Amino acid sequence: MSGSEAAPDAEPEAAPESESFTGQSVRRFEDRRILTGEAEYIHDKAPEGTLELALVRSVHAHAEIESIDTAKAEDHPDCELVLTAEDLKEHYNPQPCGLNGFEEWSLADGKVRFAGEPIAAVVARDRYAAEDVAELVNVRYDKLPPVAGASEARKDEVLVHEDEGTNVPDSEHLTFGDPGIAFEEADHVVEGEYSWGRVSGVPLETAGAVAEYDPEGDTFHIDCNIQLHTLVDDTVFETLGYDPDDVYINVPPDVGGSFGTKIAIHRYVNLVAMASHQLGGTPVKFVEDRVENLQGGDVHCSERDYRVRLAVDDDGTMRGLDVFFTDDFGAWPHYPINQVLKPLSVLTNSYHIDHAEYEYELVLTNKTAQTAYRGFGVDPHHYALEMVVDEAARELGMDPTEFRRQNLIDPDQMPYVLPSKNVYDSGDYPEALRRIEAMIEDERDGGLLDPEVVAEKRKEGKYRGTQPSVVIEPGVSGSDWTDRQRSDRDALADRTPDDADELPEHLRAEVAEDGTVRAYLATDSSGQGHQTLVAQLLADELGILPSDVAVDYLDSVDAPTEYGSAASRMAVMLSGAAEGVGEELRENLVELAADYWGVDPGDVSYRDGGVDRVDGDDRLELSDLADVDAVRLGESGTYAEFDYPHPARDVPEFDEAFARKYPVYPTAAYGANAPIVEVDVNTGEVDILEFYTVRDCGTMLNPMIVEGQAHGGIAQGIGAALMEEFAYDDNAQPTATTLFEYLLPSIKNVPDIEMDHTVTPSPFTETGAKGVGEGGMIDAPASVATAINAALDPLGVTADRLPFTPDRARRRLREAGVGPGTDGEGGDAVTDGGGSGRGSHDGRFDHADSAGGDRR
Amino acid sequence: MSVDDTPQTEPPTEEISLTVNGETVSAEVEPRLKLSDFLRREQGLRGVRVGCEHGVCGACTVLVDGKGVKSCLMLAVQADGSEITTVEGLTGDGGALHPIQEAFHETHALQCGFCTSGFVVATKELLEENPDPDRDAIEHGLADNVCRCTGYQNIYEAVERAADYADEGSHGGGDG
Repeated sequence: MSGSEAAPDAEPEAAPESESFTGQSVRRFEDRRILTGEAEYIHDKAPEGTLELALVRSVHAHAEIESIDTAKAEDHPDCELVLTAEDLKEHYNPQPCGLNGFEEWSLADGKVRFAGEPIAAVVARDRYAAEDVAELVNVRYDKLPPVAGASEARKDEVLVHEDEGTNVPDSEHLTFGDPGIAFEEADHVVEGEYSWGRVSGVPLETAGAVAEYDPEGDTFHIDCNIQLHTLVDDTVFETLGYDPDDVYINVPPDVGGSFGTKIAIHRYVNLVAMASHQLGGTPVKFVEDRVENLQGGDVHCSERDYRVRLAVDDDGTMRGLDVFFTDDFGAWPHYPINQVLKPLSVLTNSYHIDHAEYEYELVLTNKTAQTAYRGFGVDPHHYALEMVVDEAARELGMDPTEFRRQNLIDPDQMPYVLPSKNVYDSGDYPEALRRIEAMIEDERDGGLLDPEVVAEKRKEGKYRGTQPSVVIEPGVSGSDWTDRQRSDRDALADRTPDDADELPEHLRAEVAEDGTVRAYLATDSSGQGHQTLVAQLLADELGILPSDVAVDYLDSVDAPTEYGSAASRMAVMLSGAAEGVGEELRENLVELAADYWGVDPGDVSYRDGGVDRVDGDDRLELSDLADVDAVRLGESGTYAEFDYPHPARDVPEFDEAFARKYPVYPTAAYGANAPIVEVDVNTGEVDILEFYTVRDCGTMLNPMIVEGQAHGGIAQGIGAALMEEFAYDDNAQPTATTLFEYLLPSIKNVPDIEMDHTVTPSPFTETGAKGVGEGGMIDAPASVATAINAALDPLGVTADRLPFTPDRARRRLREAGVGPGTDGEGGDAVTDGGGSGRGSHDGRFDHADSAGGDRR
Repeated sequence: MSVDDTPQTEPPTEEISLTVNGETVSAEVEPRLKLSDFLRREQGLRGVRVGCEHGVCGACTVLVDGKGVKSCLMLAVQADGSEITTVEGLTGDGGALHPIQEAFHETHALQCGFCTSGFVVATKELLEENPDPDRDAIEHGLADNVCRCTGYQNIYEAVERAADYADEGSHGGGDG
């Protein structure tokens, strides 16, 4: 167990002695090259003779393209190439989509469906010249009425895709247990409507790609910062119409953040590859600028309107949960779209609720497409669920923390099978809640939440509050369920667990001439410190120092198809893979040494970077073994590779989820948060004074990295709760196209984070580690929102719409009769609170008018 | 589609002369060339990161005559005659990390690293103005730089540690 001071003082070069490196805060090997400016990100890649590409993008959200006149552009002396959809259709294929039946070309074909959609690509000597040329492309549009939101789109009056016949191409209504009876019999049914604004990861580095077509080999060599390059390379090679083995996709070791968003940058990768192909092999580069990234980069994420019902008894027992939401996916259902299903992996969060309904509608509108973002649809689910829990506590007249505590899943129930069939591996949620309450105890007595201080502050119109809760982070996604929406639903009924096809994690290791070890990752990285982590893990496996392990990356052809770095996977998958490859390599080295000495492998043993003869006569160090291997014929004795199978496959509790293609997430990390917020009712501003958090991700492989992930996730969660939003006007024009409008939390917006840990190892993973990459973003928005509810409880106002920006806060406060000119009282007024309140025991929601009537 | 092979015309250029990380540099540049692109493309200083090109993120921060400047908002021709320091200029002989770089490493104040050059340079300016900044001063000094990974927690620690090193006057290389 480690407190907040655990982080960064361990020396990476210390000898292992009795302890292992795994579990220590080994400092990162990635840092030096970054700190000195030597790191090579995609924008640094520029092979000799590279040309640059610029895009002509649609100014309208919805329009027929009447004509594209490229003559003037082609006449420009710097113009090397102009591409439009017509050219693409002659030579290539549409891009694979997240749903079957959609034909998307890398450049708009006949119609534009969002402002910022690329229509033409031009190539010139550099970006400056390319933009000059792009300005000369003349596009004539025939404007169509745009669809700017899900509630409007669901009416199907204007279709984003006429062929589809509807703006809701995917929806599902799942029932677990017997929610009908639960809702009928419960003493109370509480209902609320909550909205989650369109946010995204917005990494500091935008998307980029450099492609070089090799005419001799008829192959493509592409450097780009795509995420999951071994999994989503089909979005590139299928579009180009080439075999996977002819399209080499290589991701630089340094990627300037992704958070899921760079999974879907294939449009750019395809366009530079096509351009290089058309130019006979000249390298072509594209790096998205920030406006392109925010406006039309295909990288927004969840925009949801929820209606949630909770069935509760007078004694505070939660009996049933009913969730309905729409998710505005924008113009195309790009892969991935399964963020609408991932919440099933944590359907009831930390609460024991037997009966549940879950229904979603994936809605298309005239906005840029969604992709993944840290949390992947779970963050809005937890927000909506925690909001209705608060609502129920109010209805019951119970203390919201006691109400939560009473319904927490008990440690005795672990491993806990959710109604939606995912399994929580381990955890002590009541203990986490107790710990977080203990952390804020001092604040209630002489601190930020001292009743006297709170009362004083209220006189100034500043309302303080906090609300502890326990929020689950599902980790280590399987891959099989992720194409549920492309599967025949009827066929799903006959599936068995054995039909599940899971992707393993691949890792290679070899001993170099000098006795150091080289490892090769099949995943890509974007700042998580995978090189350090694997060096730690392999150092322990081989009894050497982490600094003796160099970690490199495989391209998409060299690596097998595997999942990679997403969905809080790598801590678990890489530790399993490192253990496997370490064992293989030790065995190979033992055999090599035995062969060299001419003895039985049983007469030698591997120890700390070398092989000993058991009789003590001789020892071969790793460098000796490399020499021995170099002159030997036959299979290499200094090389090993391993595919670590997905850990849920061996756990029978997951069988039903596998059979039904429901989300499978075998680790459940969790956070218990208590942010202390202060809402200024006169300005609507929300200030987080201190962010308390207790976190549990099982065994911490590198506590420094674990805490760093949590810090960053919490900061992003605060952004989503209070600041960030890709808003659109009624014409579906984006109103956040620069970082002046899409507000990223700065050092002034992120409070002190006071962090503690509990450690409940996972019984399902090799090291006891749980996935941890999405924590913070998954739990902080719900925690901030419920803390605001607590602060504004005397006024009857809730954070029923995120981000809870000052203007929204003021709107809600005005509706409640509170505002400038009053003395901060005024809680007598009744708020409509966005439609929360007593629900109905019978009928579910009237979907025709639900969800998103008022998104202000 | 068309592949064009007409000869290219040369764009207009201006001559500039400036000092970059202690070395005198003269160059012919297009008047519209951004200082960030000049440093990255012409001078090979790729530690200058370009994150937004509209002056918000601070990844491209360099020192111009000792003052932090967002090099995406300045033209190369405007830097004529000035003295520029980039993150590369902090690294000492033999690659020794500057105390600020060392402090960022030790406190895990970077993850993806794309903002890091800008933070390191901004920290240098901050510590030169205020060798012992409290948390408010750090907030004020680094408010023009955005980090999307660290939540800033460890960046506070890095700046405090770098200030301690400068105080000790014995740690690291460079000119700290």
